[in-house]
Amino acid sequence: MQTWIQILISSVSLFFLLLILIRLMGKRNMIRTTPFRFVSYIVVAIIVALMSINLIPNLAFGLIALSVWVLFPIALEYLSLKSKWIHDLVNGKETVLIKHGKIMEENLLQTRLTGEELLRELRCQKVFNLADVEFAVMEDTGDINLLMKAHKKPLSSYDLGIKVAPQAEPQTVILDGNILNEPLFSLGVNQEWIKSQLKTIGVAIDNVFIGQVDSSGDLYLDIFDDAIQLPQPKVKEMVYANFEKSQADLMSFALETQDKAAQQMYYRHAERLKELMEKLKPYLLR
Amino acid sequence: MTVASQVKKTLATLKGNQGTVRLYAIQTRDEETRLVYKEALEVTEDIINDLERRMQILEYQEPQYKGN
Repeated sequence: MQTWIQILISSVSLFFLLLILIRLMGKRNMIRTTPFRFVSYIVVAIIVALMSINLIPNLAFGLIALSVWVLFPIALEYLSLKSKWIHDLVNGKETVLIKHGKIMEENLLQTRLTGEELLRELRCQKVFNLADVEFAVMEDTGDINLLMKAHKKPLSSYDLGIKVAPQAEPQTVILDGNILNEPLFSLGVNQEWIKSQLKTIGVAIDNVFIGQVDSSGDLYLDIFDDAIQLPQPKVKEMVYANFEKSQADLMSFALETQDKAAQQMYYRHAERLKELMEKLKPYLLR
Repeated sequence: MTVASQVKKTLATLKGNQGTVRLYAIQTRDEETRLVYKEALEVTEDIINDLERRMQILEYQEPQYKGN
């Protein structure tokens, strides 16, 4: 057999073999993996490359080496799932770099990180002031994660004591002018619903690039023709404004009427509507 | 505008709101939100009923504006 045919056949078959093997080794991010895993990936890649260009003449030898370098990491992974001890042995433990706002110099030395490198890592996370950091840890993958001091954390609605409506993930229902059925069914609507929504907005389905339905059921569209200004859904704000208006109306009726019983009724309902608006505010406005 | 027609207008606004809120109550995917919307529906329903009753009295008092 000619050499080039041999190389072609072995390369093509190794291509698919490698595809399967890498899938077997898991879908964890290559870059955010532990150094050892990274090296084992490289070794697998090199073995396959050498086999592919026939630098390992004996195919069986190559396959043996390959299977060791593929199976051992998988086996280690299973073992470390079962045992915390093995997990720590294989992956190492995270190292605390900053505790209570103070740098742990001996731990820094242990991870062989200089002060400049630590500062650079902090800056990468938009932290320029060392004084803002309460706690920092180097994960077994080498990533550094921070906990900011409480008063330097971004403000949340919880801090402000404001209630916000819970939100589920939006569903993408239109992509490239095609209606996607699966997300539609998970929303519990059919294609007719989308079509009627598009008709109300006045857009042809072919003109829609992406359509998303948020958790309250409003449809947001991005269309191909950027010159067209689409009305954004403001229905919830309208509902709130209408409640506000009705409440004001009820108050004025109460002031105008001579009938005592009717006045009572108007006042009561105006009060109830006000309470209701307070309750609805997070859901309709925020 | 007479009192009756003013009340009628408010009644229409509330009814329109009720429809929209009912729609949102159906299409929202969050259970907590749905409960709040349902409560809103009950309160508006109550108010609408009382206003309708009041409408009848007003129309009786101002029969010349009936239907306006």
